Order: sequence, then C-alpha cells, then structure tokens
Amino acid sequence: MIVLALLALAAPAQRGADLVVHADRLYAAPGTVIEDGVVALAGEKIATIARGAPDSGGSDVIHVAAITAGMIDASGRVTPGQLAVEQSREVTPNVAVAVGLDVYDVGWARHLESGVTTVFVAPDSYNVIGGFGIVLKTGGPESIEARTLRADAAVCGAIGGRPSSGNSPASGTPRMKSRRPTTRMGVEWEWRKAFYDAEASERVPERAFPGSDVLRAVLRGEHALVVEAWTTQDIRTAVFLKEEMEREGLGDLRLVIDAGAEAWKEPQLLVRTGTPVVLPPFGDGRVGPERAFHAWNTAKLLRDAGLDVALSSHGAESPATTLGMQAGYAMRGGLSFDEALAAVTTTPARLLGVADRVGTVEAGKDADLVLWSGTPFEPSSRVLGVVLDGELVVDELPD
Amino acid sequence: MSIQRTAAFPLLAGLALFSSAAAAEKYAVKAGTIVTRAGDDVTNGVIVIEGGKITAIGSADDVQIPWDAEVLDVPDLVAFPGFVEAHSNRGMDRANENIDVAAFLDIRDSIDPVNFYFEDSLRWGVTTINVQQGNNCVIGGQGMVVRPVAMTVEEMLVKPGAGVKMSASPKSGNSRATQAQALRRAFSDLRAYLEDLVEEKRQGFDYARREALYQGRDLEGERAKGRAMGGGAWKVEGLELVPRGEIDEKQEPLLDIVEGRVPVFFYCEAPMDVRIAVEVARDNGFLANTVLVLGASCWKAADEVAAAGRPVVLDSNLVHRERDPVTGEEQETFVPGVFQGKGVKFALQSANQSSESLWFQAAMCVGYGMSREDALAAVTTSAAEILGLGDRVGSLEVGHDGDVVLFSGDPLSVTSFVEYVVLGGDLVYERAKDVRAKHLLEGLEPPNTAPASAEGEAAGEAGEEGAEKKDEEDDTEGDQR
Repeated sequence: MIVLALLALAAPAQRGADLVVHADRLYAAPGTVIEDGVVALAGEKIATIARGAPDSGGSDVIHVAAITAGMIDASGRVTPGQLAVEQSREVTPNVAVAVGLDVYDVGWARHLESGVTTVFVAPDSYNVIGGFGIVLKTGGPESIEARTLRADAAVCGAIGGRPSSGNSPASGTPRMKSRRPTTRMGVEWEWRKAFYDAEASERVPERAFPGSDVLRAVLRGEHALVVEAWTTQDIRTAVFLKEEMEREGLGDLRLVIDAGAEAWKEPQLLVRTGTPVVLPPFGDGRVGPERAFHAWNTAKLLRDAGLDVALSSHGAESPATTLGMQAGYAMRGGLSFDEALAAVTTTPARLLGVADRVGTVEAGKDADLVLWSGTPFEPSSRVLGVVLDGELVVDELPD
Repeated sequence: MSIQRTAAFPLLAGLALFSSAAAAEKYAVKAGTIVTRAGDDVTNGVIVIEGGKITAIGSADDVQIPWDAEVLDVPDLVAFPGFVEAHSNRGMDRANENIDVAAFLDIRDSIDPVNFYFEDSLRWGVTTINVQQGNNCVIGGQGMVVRPVAMTVEEMLVKPGAGVKMSASPKSGNSRATQAQALRRAFSDLRAYLEDLVEEKRQGFDYARREALYQGRDLEGERAKGRAMGGGAWKVEGLELVPRGEIDEKQEPLLDIVEGRVPVFFYCEAPMDVRIAVEVARDNGFLANTVLVLGASCWKAADEVAAAGRPVVLDSNLVHRERDPVTGEEQETFVPGVFQGKGVKFALQSANQSSESLWFQAAMCVGYGMSREDALAAVTTSAAEILGLGDRVGSLEVGHDGDVVLFSGDPLSVTSFVEYVVLGGDLVYERAKDVRAKHLLEGLEPPNTAPASAEGEAAGEAGEEGAEKKDEEDDTEGDQR
C-alpha cells in the first residue's frame, strides 16, 4: 500500500460541514478515557463529546482507533536560528521572537504532521536574555499574529556555555562578537546585573536599559521566566538565581527550566522551589550542545517528586524524535500513559497559561485533535489526521 | 526464575554483560509467550537448545526439558527469534578502502568485536548482523555475517563468505559515468587478464606460477588444479589449464563473483543506479546472487527492481520526502509499501542511533499500514532468507540456531526492554547486569558528569526535611555570595 500525502503548506483544508470524529478510545484528558467516543465540532471549537457510535446523519463521520487533544510542544524551535535573536546586546528582554518568525517555514508543517497543534517558540540561546517567547498554533491562517495564543507568556534566556560561545575577548581588530561574556561566569554575571539594574531603575532612572521594565514585570511574576539550562551546574545556577532574587527582596521569579536534561541529578533543588521542568528529547545518554546526560527515567523521577514536567522536541524533526515519540520514551522510563499524556497536553497548557483554550478534549475548547491509528505514543501507531481550529489540516486517513 | 550460572566476569567497564562461561550443552527457556515467526505463537512455551541448536519447541505440556539442562524460567517475558540486520557497515574500522576495486580485502581484518555497536545490538535484540563494507567504493571487500558476542572475530562468525559489496553510486570523486565505467572495466579487465593467463599457459610461459610462489600463495590441493570457468554470461576457454592458485589474488575474488560462488550486495543510492547495477550484474552472470541495497528514493525504480527479480535491503529512512521547489508542496512516500506492493522481498536496516534499531523500523512499518506479520518478516525471516540463513536464524524452529531474545512485552512496543539474550544456547545478555542500561535508564553514575551535591540530590524528601535544609543552606549561601 502506497501512502502518498500532498501537504500544501498554505492550502485550506476540508471546510464546510462541521466534523464529527469517532474513535474506539477517546482520550479526553489524562485519566479520562471514553470508549467509543464521539467528538462533534462547531466552527473552531469543540461542541460536544459523547459515548456511543454516532448515527451517520448529515456530517461526515471520521473513524479512527484513538483520539487525543492536539499536543503542545513546550519548547519547539521553528526559528531561523541566529536571525531570530538580536545579538547587538546580550540582554534584550524587550525583543519578541515573534517578529523574526517565518509563517512559511516548513518546520510548522513538520510539527503539525506529528500531532503538535500548539507550540511554544523561544529565541535560540545565543543571548543571555533573548526576549519574549511566543505560544502559537502550528497551522491555520497565514500570519504569525493570527496564530498567536499568547505573545507575553514568558521571557526566555539561557544559562550555560551557549550564550557566551562565539564571544571572544577583544584582540586585534574587534568584531561584533568581541565582547563579554566569554564564560559561564560572565553569563551569570549578566543575569544578576540585569535583574539588579532593572529593580534599581525604579529608584535610579539612570540604571534603566531597554527591557528593564520587562524584567521588573518578570520580578513581579507577570511573565514566566523560561531558562534553558541543560547541565546540573546550570540548573543549579538558575535555581540559586531565583532564590537570590527572593532572598534579596527583588521579587519572585516564576522560573521554568527548559531543556533540563540533567534535572534527574538534583531534583531536591527543583522541589524546594517548585520549579517546573521542560525536558528535551531523550537520546542515548548525552544530548544537546552541552552534552548533558539525559536519563530515560527523568520524567518519572520528577513527577514522583511532585514537579510539573512537560516534554518537548526542541526543534528535532526526525520520526524518532517527534513529541509523540518523546511521550513514548518517557513511558519507557516509567511514566504511566496518563502522566505522559499530561506531559504533552495539560501540563504545558497550564505552564503557558493557555489551559482555557487547549490541552483537553472538552466542550468549549479549541477544536484541536490528533487522530491516531493505534495506541498513542507507540511507534507502531501513526498520526492519521490532525484537526486544528475545527479544520482537518492533516489528512492521511485511509480512503 | 532460576538460572544456574557458572563464573562470569566483567571484562571492561560497561561490558559486564558478556558471559564467558563454558557453553551449557543443554539449555531451556520457559517463557510466557513464544513468538516463533513460523506459525502461531505459543503460550506457556518451552524451547530446548542442545549443542547450540533448537531441538524442541512447544507448549510446556508437550515438551520435556532434559534433566541436565540449564533453565531460564521467565513466565512474564516474551521469547522472540532475535532481529536480523541484513546489511550494516558499523562495528569496524573505516568502512571503505581508498582504492576502487578492493574485492581481495576481507572484513574479518577490520571488524572490532568490542565496538560499541555490537554491545548495543544485543541491547536492542539484534542477534545476527551482516557486516559489509561501506558504500564509498566501486567494488568493496568481502563481508561476513556475525553474531554480536565474544571477543574474537572467529567466535562471532556465523557465516563466512557472506558477500562482496559493490556500489553503483559514485565513490567520492567519481561521476556516475565514471563509476559505471569502473564497474564494467573491473570485469573486462578480469576477462582480459584470464585470457592472457590462458594464452601464457598455452605458450608454456611459467610467469604466473613463479609469481604465485614468490608471493607465497598456496598451490596445493584444490588450488593446484585448473577448473573450467563457470558462470552464465561469459567464459574464458581453456581456464582449466590454469591452476586456481596461480590466479592473481586480486583477481580471484572477482572470478568467484562471476562464477556465482559469492553473493553480491549492490548499493544503489538513486533510482538511476538500479539500471547500472542490474546491467553489470546481468552482463557478468551474477544477477542471480545479487541483493540490491537501496537508498530511499529508489522506490521510483521499483518496477525495474521487480523485473530483476531480486530481493532488496531498504534504507533506514523509511519515508521519502520530496518538496516541489516551486509550489512548496510536499510528497511523502512510504518506501517499504511500494516494494511490498510489487511483490519484492525486502529487509530493513536500522538507523544509526541505537534507539532506531530494527524493532523501531518494524514498528514504523506497522504504523504506515503494513501488517504486523509482514513488518516482522522484514526484520526476521525475510532478512534471514536474503542472507541465505533462512534455515538457521530469523525464526524459532527445530533445527535452527538457539538464538532467543526475551522481551518484557511486545517486541514492537516502545515500553518493552530486552531482558535476556540467549545465543547458541549461551546466556549472553542480562539487562539486570547491563551497566550501561542502568546509566541510560537511571542516570546511575555515568562517567564525566558533575557529581550531585548533598543538598540537591535526595529526591522525594520534600516537606519538613526540605525546609530544614533550606534554612541551613540560606546561611551558607549568604556567606558564599
């Protein structure tokens, strides 16, 4: 059987009659499975969910083995790399990555095909503080603005070697990258200086800088602070930074660790600060640019300790690294199916502040569904269809 | 579960899974489910292995376990034949030599038994591997089928003379035209060389014999006899006058190929390469022994492949994607489905990361609509048949090698682990003793990572104890900062 799929990036999908989808198992929410479940859509929203095979009156009924809510990637990277990061300074909290994104990038379609309907995109970690990340749908109208769910969910940054890599001390003819920080220590110094200056700028206007008002809002907890920290020492630094801000009375950071591959090492630090963790793709031990060791049971360990865990693809695109497969690997590491489902739906929805719209299959929420050919998250199952805002945008259903 | 073990010692850190115990003459596996790949599954089954071969297999009621057999009693596990990797070029020193025609090189000289690839193969249930040279050649060297155990190549050997690698895709530096010419010339040079050899013999020249003696080649027994040339496409009259031992050692492997004594694994990266491969093989009489190793885009030449009537080994990339540069429309093709539809026998390859091993490839095929039966065949029985080992591996049957993999669940499920591997009646892998598996799963003391701090480590000690620690730490932190 040959399967041919023509994916036109911008072509509108099936419109007209509202869809009705029926599945042997409808995974409406973690812990809620409806056998013989039926989802009826109305426009861009879910109208009703019910049990029992539908009578075929009127609308087309699509039948699949399983349905879940559209998945939410807590750290997708569909950016043009360095071009989406303003590198004239290391600290740019006022910049939004949204402006640098390309709605025609094939990366959105890749996410969509794998069942990811909502994604959080952060600026790549070339800057210490890169600016606002954005929560948006991976398909739909042809503009980033129209797809955006939240433009102010979180300010993003990185701790570790990445922001300083490429910088070098000035010698010979200076280049743009002849500047500090050149080490992890310098990166940490930039973080602390940024917060201390931002806080002080209320009383001493001379210490203000572009974005200091944003950082003051972050200190008040109005935006989350997503810090990419792969290794043990970097996660430690991030947590200590939060505790220092609290201790010195500057404010309460709503810290989220992104790409916390080595979070399994010192979970107590995260537990005592209640820090949620977004995990990067599992691999064979060492992962990512920092070669951090990512144990397979990390998700289970953190869940058992009571922490919020979300999974992510961190921009990876192969069939073995999709978000659905990450949920499968997390199950291999010990997570139950419901916990894995939560890690790719309800938990990231809550962390990103969009739980009122996405994350579960419930009446009134956005009509974002993933139609599976078998048990979700197994490699022997495949995403046969994706409904986004009521439209069947990915259709690989057998005829 | 009861296992009687004789001494097992760890050989290198991380390689503690190999047992070099004396081979148990008799071994029995009692498993909750046996997937035989040769008929129905057996529930509560027993496999008896004697002298390295399966002598009995069936339900526990029907099969008698010899009183002196070592027994692996694992009622919760699923027994499976072990995956067969029909083509691989990992596990050795550099995959290719620089010269175009290197058929005289043998992979036994470059296989590295302690290479991580073999250890990983066991971890993922791959028990038979056809190691061939890489694709960057015109005619590569001779490969061998091995099992991923033991410290020496000889002990790993399953089948010598497993085949020679060729490539219709250009070696780096060549264009496709040059590559095709090089392939053809290798055989026309062989023919010319053999004809010269016969002519010299007829004229009474002794040069070839003296050269052979000088090089220390063997001229005894079979090698001292001339043999008429076999092969279907072309012949050299009078070759029986020339003792085999006098044929130059660089040319002889090519002669073996033309005479159909050796299988050929012919790599085609692009659809246009299939024609060249089939033509070269047909013109030189070895098409009947050829297995095509195809790149993902070769699905476009599926009709040509089917017409050639030969089995294929497919690329590890199962889904071929193409994007129209003008419209941006993407076309996806599930490659194994195309060949299945044309009735071509095919086997799969694993991708480079060990987590995309053969179980994953087979599972992906099921996802794309292939029946479980066909998907499993592509990584067990079909692969074994392609290697000429259909009577030895790929399924659990009486008379086959005693190679059994015990899974914690469905072999195609992401949550299943390989718990034990028995090869030839020896228990060679136990996950409980696999140090690296512990690293991967639990992050237990992997080398070269930062040590955890006392304050940071203890998971699950939240609450009071955590609060106490926090108070202590606050004081010291203040000083440090």
